[in-house]
Amino acid sequence: MKVAKPALLRSVFALALGAGISLAGAAAQAGGTLVVGMTAGDLPITTGNPDQGFEGYRFVGYNLYDSLALWDLSKSAADKASEIKPGLAAEWHVDEGNDKRWIFKLRTGVKWHDGCDFTAADVVWNFTHSKDPQAPEFDPGQLAQATVYLANAVHASKIDEHTVAFDTTVPDSLFPYELSYWLLISPCRAKEVKYNWTEYALRPSGTGPYRFDSAAPHQRMELVPNRDYWDKARVPKQDRLVLVPMPEASTRTAALLAGQVNWIEAPSPDAIDRLKSAGMQIVTNPYPHNWTYQLNFVNGPFTDKRVRQAANYALSRADMKELLNGLMLEGNSTLPPSTPYYGHPKIYEYDPSKAKQLLTAARCLPCKVTFAISTSGSGQMQPLPMNELVKSQMDAAGFEVKLEPMDWNALIAVAREGVDKHPQYNAINVSRQTQDPFNALIRHVWTPQWAPKGANWGHYSNPEMDKLITAIFAEFDTQKRLKLLTQLNESMNEEAVMIFVAHDVNPRALSPKVHGFVQAQSWFQDLTPVSVEP
Amino acid sequence: MTDYSSVIPAKARIQGDRAPAAAPCSSQGQALDPRFRGGDDVKERHTKPVYDEQALPATRVRGYWQSVFYRLQHDPVTLFFAAIVVLIVLAAVCAPLIAPFDPYKESIVGRLKPFGWRGHPLGTDELGRDMLSRLIYGGRVSLLMGVVPVLVASLIGGMLGVVGGFLGGRANTAIMRTMDVFYAFPSVLLAVAIAGAMGGGMTNGMLALTLVFVPPMCRVAETATTQIRALGFIEAARASGARTTTIIRYHVLGNVLGPVFIYASSLVSVSILLASGLSFLGLGVRPPVPDWGLMLSTLRQSIYVVPFVCALPGFAIFITSICCNLVSDGLRAAMDVRM
Amino acid sequence: MIRYVLRRILYAIPIAFGVSVVCFSLVYIAPGDPLQTVMPPDATAETIAIVKHAYGFDKPLPVQFLIWLGRVVTGDFGMSIATRRPVFLEVSEALANTALLAMFAVPLAFFTGYVMGAVAGSFAGRWVDRVVTGAAVVGVSLPNYWLGIVLVIVFAVEYMLLPATGMGPNGSTAFNLLQWSNVQFLILPVVTLAMIPIGILARTTRAAVAEVRNQDFVQTLRAKGLSEWAVTRHVLKNAMPQVLAVMGLQFGYLLGGSILVETVFTWPGSGFLLSKAIINRDVPVLQGTILALSLVFVATNFVVDLLQSPIDPRIRRA
Repeated sequence: MKVAKPALLRSVFALALGAGISLAGAAAQAGGTLVVGMTAGDLPITTGNPDQGFEGYRFVGYNLYDSLALWDLSKSAADKASEIKPGLAAEWHVDEGNDKRWIFKLRTGVKWHDGCDFTAADVVWNFTHSKDPQAPEFDPGQLAQATVYLANAVHASKIDEHTVAFDTTVPDSLFPYELSYWLLISPCRAKEVKYNWTEYALRPSGTGPYRFDSAAPHQRMELVPNRDYWDKARVPKQDRLVLVPMPEASTRTAALLAGQVNWIEAPSPDAIDRLKSAGMQIVTNPYPHNWTYQLNFVNGPFTDKRVRQAANYALSRADMKELLNGLMLEGNSTLPPSTPYYGHPKIYEYDPSKAKQLLTAARCLPCKVTFAISTSGSGQMQPLPMNELVKSQMDAAGFEVKLEPMDWNALIAVAREGVDKHPQYNAINVSRQTQDPFNALIRHVWTPQWAPKGANWGHYSNPEMDKLITAIFAEFDTQKRLKLLTQLNESMNEEAVMIFVAHDVNPRALSPKVHGFVQAQSWFQDLTPVSVEP
Repeated sequence: MTDYSSVIPAKARIQGDRAPAAAPCSSQGQALDPRFRGGDDVKERHTKPVYDEQALPATRVRGYWQSVFYRLQHDPVTLFFAAIVVLIVLAAVCAPLIAPFDPYKESIVGRLKPFGWRGHPLGTDELGRDMLSRLIYGGRVSLLMGVVPVLVASLIGGMLGVVGGFLGGRANTAIMRTMDVFYAFPSVLLAVAIAGAMGGGMTNGMLALTLVFVPPMCRVAETATTQIRALGFIEAARASGARTTTIIRYHVLGNVLGPVFIYASSLVSVSILLASGLSFLGLGVRPPVPDWGLMLSTLRQSIYVVPFVCALPGFAIFITSICCNLVSDGLRAAMDVRM
Repeated sequence: MIRYVLRRILYAIPIAFGVSVVCFSLVYIAPGDPLQTVMPPDATAETIAIVKHAYGFDKPLPVQFLIWLGRVVTGDFGMSIATRRPVFLEVSEALANTALLAMFAVPLAFFTGYVMGAVAGSFAGRWVDRVVTGAAVVGVSLPNYWLGIVLVIVFAVEYMLLPATGMGPNGSTAFNLLQWSNVQFLILPVVTLAMIPIGILARTTRAAVAEVRNQDFVQTLRAKGLSEWAVTRHVLKNAMPQVLAVMGLQFGYLLGGSILVETVFTWPGSGFLLSKAIINRDVPVLQGTILALSLVFVATNFVVDLLQSPIDPRIRRA
């Protein structure tokens, strides 16, 4: 028996429903939950400097914590390569009488998440926490993560409540850049948990724009805004930030399309069209990344400059770009062109006949070389197809390339150990960050950085470049130093110290409901202005 | 994946089969078992008077292996799938002759193209290589990784099982308990753990799979050998003065070969699936060698561009696996062995 | 009976020891240094040497084994190098998540497989038998991870009916079986995982049913005048023990062998933990996981064996 519903009731019901929805919508408009699918294989650690590479810094490190100098990721910086700006330190300068001493004036009025005040003593405490194995607050897990950035620092001392001095081993004009990667944790909370780092990891406390809320191990981490953050412009606009590790590109794509996440890192180039047709926003921007081959300068064909140049002439970077569906910048140098010290380096245009000429002159035809490559990895883009393309192009120009694939961790081990332990490889394919001058240029060609001490895998050594680098470290005037850095980049290109191939453009895919994100030219990104509509 | 210790095959009656129930004997063993003597016996029966109790109708009694072949001949399903398996093997062996393109030749322009594009009947993969050629060449690797571990494991495991079953006592216990340690691992876990620990690669993968299959083969052989001992053939032969090697050759091997062969044939499909699983996880062959599991893994990202092309390696694995399974089933029914 | 149980337990101890030796050595067959991978790319070899000493990886192998064994016996499986959490905690959580999958997959497989096998066995030789047996063979021959990928594409991406990956909207720690928003994450992985057990159980049931039907007592029942349906019920009851045994073994097998399905669905279970530990060379987790999984497998087999012998004396081996 049909019961006739009065039309009036029905329309009232509909009105109420509509009003309720829009009301709820208005409330949620202010924030929303941002769910991010990361390429990391696991959740980054929260005990200070994170693991999982720079993605750990991007989503956990710089969200929970700050460093003395922060990277400028704001809108105004989006068309230029990102530079450092004051963070927990309001100002820094080198001591006039002693260029091996840096004075950092700290920001006042900053509080840790646990309520304690941020003072100079905390900075000194963090220094021993990262560097001194004898100190009770020492964390061996952090030794591996933080030490590399404090390599040049010998001592930290408190001058007054808000001033700290660092002593370095050599005059180091680039010291603030190194400190920009060093994240500071709260001594209050550390003492509260009696230096039990496993427990600290569940209740981390920093000064950053986000607070830690909860984590389901290996599956998701939830962060919430820190309403008392010292930089009022960077208090997060979303209500909640959820991080989910998804190392497989196809899983990330499926999760975004299915609506399970609303932000994914590094979608596979082949899925871009599908994502676009589903209405997703694809954002890209050049960033300080290079995809190159670091060469063996001890034995093998690449000890000859002509062979190195030939390898660069052999590559058609335009074809590589097509392979990646346009998602890359052609790489003609160590640095992407938007870097301030790029200059006018020698460009190796695609010219296979010239390559053959050079190989003939060097008497290496066919030139047999072995490359160590990885099957995946952070920043490695699409290593297998890209290496296959490089191989076919180099083979056509007179080389005989043998590829030796291994998993990412094995390749990192090869890179770390250096050419002495792996003389059978003529080149390794490890992508690098070029965010600050030391990491961009110096560590690849400086003699003291010979692996295993540093990143100079192939033991390249050039007395002129070493002199230039020493001058760079001693040059505290920014403009003059810029000129020297430009000189260094141009000379590295002239010497063809690497085989230059590509720069990644940092693609990410966002749901159409995500608003407010501006992609900076950096490995790190600012998530605070992002909001998600319901 | 199959759990071996519990496989109990059907002692199914084949329709139309009137031969007497087969006892696990080899053709040589038949010489000693009066029930199965053909030839002379039959002639004798013809010349006996009708009222003699041995005057059976003149049926020609088939030997054991002859009955197996008879049953197979009249089992069209098994023959059909066996033909497919033979085709797949032939295609893999003759790959250089029948593959239309070079499986390693890439083309940046022709990436991820659908069926029939410019002469590529099954499309191209993420580097522009022809799918059909890569599937055919991939069959080599996949079949190799499917068959070789099973063969080697049958040899090693079979030998260990026969020795253990033959010797009995402490030696048998020692061998079987060692096998039990490896039996304690589920096969996928063991294969992944060994292959993963050794760093992947084709040889390591085959090694891992061989190690996984040795314990069940050993157990099958040992059970069969112990059964033979229990049936008394061995004691009788010993009593009649036969040497140990003769005993092993005529009595033990002949009877063990049957169950081992059946079990091995059922393991082939499992091995193919496990090997492709290892490659899928990145623990098998390394690129750019074509292999079905590896192709499935690398094509997974491109599934939005050409879904059917990306599903092809899975089909290849599936078809090979199911054909091997059905042929193995047919063989088991024909040989009618209970393990 | 007690003696039998005691004997089996006693016999399991050397097996467990052998298992622990295998687990421990597996990790060290590997080429390369166990610690290399958990360090960031920029860490130098000297840094690693310091950390190695802190973790005790520079001692000789037999010493490391004994230390490890001593700790394991007291329940201390060590700490994960990657996450700094106790391995015991990691493994037990992961195992619980896999057990959740197995708990649903096995009954699904049992009921589906049993019905299929019963139908096939009762109509042995006819077309129904062929069709059903064919379906069972399909289940066993399918690469189940491929099926998983296809299901994700169809149900999650194309039709957005079910989620693509993960274990619930709040992760495993807050998984609530009573809410559809959580339970829907279970469906695709369970179906994928159940494929192969369905095939195996269907074949086992069919074999058991066909065998039981050929026995004399069935003739007797028919002669007594029972209806075909009643006869079938008797047959099925007699076929049960064998099938239950196989089902029990499948449960143990799924707990240890779910790695492929868990990789496809990013389900945080024991298989996924294992694959991550292999990639990261997280030695303590690797050793602990393999040991725990195999011991669980041994225990399951043991329990199944025990339950079987009172039910079916034929199965008990001398």
